[in-house]
Amino acid sequence: MSPTVDALPTGLEACDCLTPFGDAAATLSALLAGRRALEFEAVLGAAGGDRVPLALCGPMDESVPPRWLPDLRRLVASIPADAWGTARRPVVVTSSNFGVGSLYAFTRDHDDRHLRHGPPFACVEMLQREFTWGENVHILSHACVSAHLGLAQAARLLHAGLADRVLVLTFDFVSPFVAGGFHSLKILNDGLPAPFAVRETGSIGLGDGAAFAVLSRAATPFRLQAHALHNEMYHFTANRPDGAGFDACLGAIAEAARGRRVWVKGHGTGTLEAGRLEAEACARQFPGAPLVSWKGSLGHTLGSCGLVELAVALTGLRAARLPGTIGTTTPCFGDNVALGPFAADGFDATILTSNAFGGAHAAMLLAHA
Amino acid sequence: MSDPLALRLKTLIVQTLRLKDVRPEDILDDEPLFGTSRFDLDSIDALELVLRLEKEFGIKIGSSEESRKALTNVATLAEYIRHRQPGHGD
Repeated sequence: MSPTVDALPTGLEACDCLTPFGDAAATLSALLAGRRALEFEAVLGAAGGDRVPLALCGPMDESVPPRWLPDLRRLVASIPADAWGTARRPVVVTSSNFGVGSLYAFTRDHDDRHLRHGPPFACVEMLQREFTWGENVHILSHACVSAHLGLAQAARLLHAGLADRVLVLTFDFVSPFVAGGFHSLKILNDGLPAPFAVRETGSIGLGDGAAFAVLSRAATPFRLQAHALHNEMYHFTANRPDGAGFDACLGAIAEAARGRRVWVKGHGTGTLEAGRLEAEACARQFPGAPLVSWKGSLGHTLGSCGLVELAVALTGLRAARLPGTIGTTTPCFGDNVALGPFAADGFDATILTSNAFGGAHAAMLLAHA
Repeated sequence: MSDPLALRLKTLIVQTLRLKDVRPEDILDDEPLFGTSRFDLDSIDALELVLRLEKEFGIKIGSSEESRKALTNVATLAEYIRHRQPGHGD
């Protein structure tokens, strides 16, 4: 199966994120200083369990309303005002988990108020009411490439003439259910993540994250030029051992980036096999381009990571300084891995990638002056 | 003489993973459990097996790399469990 490539340029009118550090500016500042948001917390929150690295905006409880709603309100307050959710102003909401933690809470305490924001549709309907959006709201979810799909869908809506401006909102907040799942896979363990590092044991961290982007056809200084999507259909949780899935997706976006001087914001969660395959494929497809991952600090923000990290990248490009791969030391899976911060001048485009369970790969090309 | 722990593990593998047409005594101690067509097991099976082993033997498997090494075959799994059970001198 060949990758899908959408060369549908869209202007980025506004973009910001929320992490435990704060907004994109605060997050950039912390990353440039090499700070980790990850701290060791009980994997099941108040119910205890092993201590694992989590980057949380607040205690991981299962409150009603959900703990993440105040954070989301704070982020949404910074979205430029418009008639969101009306005919020409669609909203695309993406998440990997929506309110799944609330469903788990319901199974234990039988408080049916959890159900108001547990299932994806109920969760988004609650947001629609909360933020007084109209009915033109789209919901997309595909594990950890969810935000990429939202941005690609926005580009399609704009280029099909079905919208003038699109709001893409993404969020994933860690819950005991989600942390417990990754812990049982043994990749969320008692180690801190060191993306792309050669180590005995791979470890990821999980983090809270939310972000938005307002896209249009306007000629803004930063533009999303192209999206590549690919599913290698090899295995639920493993990539093809030869890295062909990474090469297919990255090769497609490399074609769209031909002639540009790029750096790569990779996925890099801290697992060993995927980290090696990604670093090697990046070196093949983008020779000489620095590769970074920020999940050693922010943790993996799951379905939201593509847009959270886009917001940080944009802020870094405006500040002309980009964070390196926090938490990683040599040896690495490739010489292309940038460990420390570096200057943004000299590059005229950024590649941003995410990967997901099921063999899903996504990459986008951000062009800048 | 056969190892009682190995036999117990084989029984547990067959039961936990609901292996059809496989009897515990058919599994060789040094036979690969994963990555072959004989049992056709994948990472979801590994997850299920790890959770059962942790419960059954009161052990903690720390990482996916550790679990992969332990689950190489029945002999490596038995060795792994012996070294982590209470009272072991190591």
